[in-house]
Amino acid sequence: MTAASNAQKLSPRARRALILMAVGAPVGFAAGRVLVWLKRQGYWRDLEFSSSDVVSLGLATFLVAVGLVTMAVSLSRKALGRRINGEEETRAATPAQASFYAGQGGVLVLAAVMLAAPPLAGALFVPLSPLLASAVMTGLITVFLVQTAGNITLWVRSDELMRRTMAETAAVSYGLLQGLLFLWAAAEKLSLLPPLTLWDAVNVNMIGYLLISMIVAWRRGFVD
Amino acid sequence: MKNRLKVLRAERDWSQADLAQRLDVSRQTINALETGKYDPSLPLAFKIARLFGQPIEAIFQDED
Repeated sequence: MTAASNAQKLSPRARRALILMAVGAPVGFAAGRVLVWLKRQGYWRDLEFSSSDVVSLGLATFLVAVGLVTMAVSLSRKALGRRINGEEETRAATPAQASFYAGQGGVLVLAAVMLAAPPLAGALFVPLSPLLASAVMTGLITVFLVQTAGNITLWVRSDELMRRTMAETAAVSYGLLQGLLFLWAAAEKLSLLPPLTLWDAVNVNMIGYLLISMIVAWRRGFVD
Repeated sequence: MKNRLKVLRAERDWSQADLAQRLDVSRQTINALETGKYDPSLPLAFKIARLFGQPIEAIFQDED
């Protein structure tokens, strides 16, 4: 049996994963080599991040990766059609579906920008002048408004299952996370736990929201 | 709530994507309905009943 016939037996998903690995490994290796070279030449200084900043940057990386992949898939209506209608389906996604998924990818990327900008600004510009901080904040408010408009547009364009999933995620997140926040605040008041910063709370909130949205989507049958 | 959506769809040789297109919902919604993970809103239930030309209670049955 030849390698070519083995490859033909792989599912489209497995073939895509192999292609991504084949492309990702050398790209990652090359990027790492460039970073090492930059550091040796003195062009790169170590940035100082708190553990909370590292968490938000990790979250931002995850969101930007998912967002960009979603946007990339939405560029090919044929690939998107297979993604949303099943691998056996040959029909392409409609332009409305393509723009919906592009929008979903877009709001994820904007969410990543909002999570990454504050810690990056604080680490890249030391000390961070009030003028620069105000400029970053103005940009953040703008991105926040655009992202909110994007989320509302997605809600309006969603079908009823998607809206139900979003509403359930919001309800469970509110109940669970405000309960956790209360318990932490009470324990902190009693000097049983260390104090949380608001940025820590944002991270916990975001991680909780993402996990809850995945569980709700799975329970509602978004995963075949 | 149980439903006969999968049977009715199969009788017409429609895929989930075909039915989704006719009902103007996502294919995931059809999958969730067929697997009992989601009960439709009244407007969607009426739409399904009209599409298959049957009363709602002939398609959806209360499990009690």
